[in-house]
Amino acid sequence: MPRNRTVRAAVLGSSVQRAAASGSSSTRSSALRRRIVVGFLVLLSLTLITVSFRSSALDPVQGFGASVLRPFEIAANRVSQPFNDAFDWARGLVHAKSENERLRAELEVLRRETAEAEVARQENAQLQKLLEYRSSPRFPGDYRAVAASVMANPTAFDRSITISAGSRDGIRVQDVVITAGALVGQVTKVFRDVSRVMLITDPSSAVTALDASNPAAVGILEHGSTPDSLVLNRVTKDKIVEVGDTIVTSGSQAGDRFPSIFPRDLLIGKVASVGQSETDIFKTIQVEPLVDLSALRSVLVLVPKKRGGAE
Amino acid sequence: MILDAFKAWLLLFVAVLAQVSVLSGYTLIGGAPDLVLVTLLSLALLRGSIFGAVAGFGAGLLLDIAYLDTLGFTSLLLTLAGFWIGRYGETTARDRFHAPLLSVGVVTVLYVLGAIVLRFVLGDPVPAGEVLAGLPGVVLLNLVLTLPVYALVRRLFPPAAATARVREVRLLG
Repeated sequence: MPRNRTVRAAVLGSSVQRAAASGSSSTRSSALRRRIVVGFLVLLSLTLITVSFRSSALDPVQGFGASVLRPFEIAANRVSQPFNDAFDWARGLVHAKSENERLRAELEVLRRETAEAEVARQENAQLQKLLEYRSSPRFPGDYRAVAASVMANPTAFDRSITISAGSRDGIRVQDVVITAGALVGQVTKVFRDVSRVMLITDPSSAVTALDASNPAAVGILEHGSTPDSLVLNRVTKDKIVEVGDTIVTSGSQAGDRFPSIFPRDLLIGKVASVGQSETDIFKTIQVEPLVDLSALRSVLVLVPKKRGGAE
Repeated sequence: MILDAFKAWLLLFVAVLAQVSVLSGYTLIGGAPDLVLVTLLSLALLRGSIFGAVAGFGAGLLLDIAYLDTLGFTSLLLTLAGFWIGRYGETTARDRFHAPLLSVGVVTVLYVLGAIVLRFVLGDPVPAGEVLAGLPGVVLLNLVLTLPVYALVRRLFPPAAATARVREVRLLG
């Protein structure tokens, strides 16, 4: 009973209780009726389950019932179709964000894999070229090649690379580094498993080189005005050098007091421009390297088969 | 009584149609709302155990027919659910605000567990893991449905208790 009951309500309430207390036989019959009804329904359900489960006797009944329900279900479907569409639209909006994030993540993975595949393809192509060069007649006979991958490429401030081969592979300082027949530089530091290579574009680098079309045009190849450019200096004006000529290492000339560390005929680059001034006794020859020295993947280190007495 | 039975039949019929055609597609964290169960429990709370049991049997039979499931399967579960909540309504739940929510919450869990056990007993394959994983969603959606559905059912089936009380008034003294 509520707390603010009236006298009348209290009287009515007590009357109900008295009636219930005095009618114990009706309560008992009510409980019995409940038990009979629920017992019958449970028994009927179990019978239906048993019959339906063990035989197909009830299938026609169920089929008929389903047929009767079918039009109502279709009508319900039609009535609810706009709501279903609205719900699907709303659910699509909710899922769109998570799906967008998932697709972005997938795209990121695919991009990374594509980049890795591209890197692998380029590396494979470079290794193939190295292999071809190694077995070609152009490969210097007095050297053995140690293949190494480039671990760190040059920066704008440092024209050196780090390679994955060191003293354990027989590499020493001043060993020459090439890629597919083109000169890369020379080893400047050697550790057990890695080495540092100074590129020919480094300001400290100097290589004796000549024009392959005119071997008399010998000069010193040094770094140019831009990070990846080279200049062939000390070629006198009387030598003929044409744009497009190939520049190669000259190696040690007969009678040289200081023999070159670079074997002869290693490719370096192509002549990009030739100039000369009235006041200068040498030509100004710009050379473009044959390989992109800022994006090397693998190199060969030329290790002399017979080391000199300096070691 | 006959009018109540007719209204209950109509209400449960509409609930079954809505359940089969519409609501079974609306899922939240793996579970769909059970309008038939919520409607049945509301009816049972307001009309007692016998009414609840009979309504549960009828609604279960309709669902079994609509889903072409084993006849009697859902009937058995809903008969017991209607009867139990009807008894609860007849005894301790009368006029308690939380009764519908408590009934729906508890019976939803027991109904799902009962269905799993019964299917297991019958030898039917049942993905118990998936069903149980969706149980929180079912309970949540059923609880959301409870208040509006109970309010509607209460409007259609106004409590007869006040009338019964008046009928038993006797003047004292």
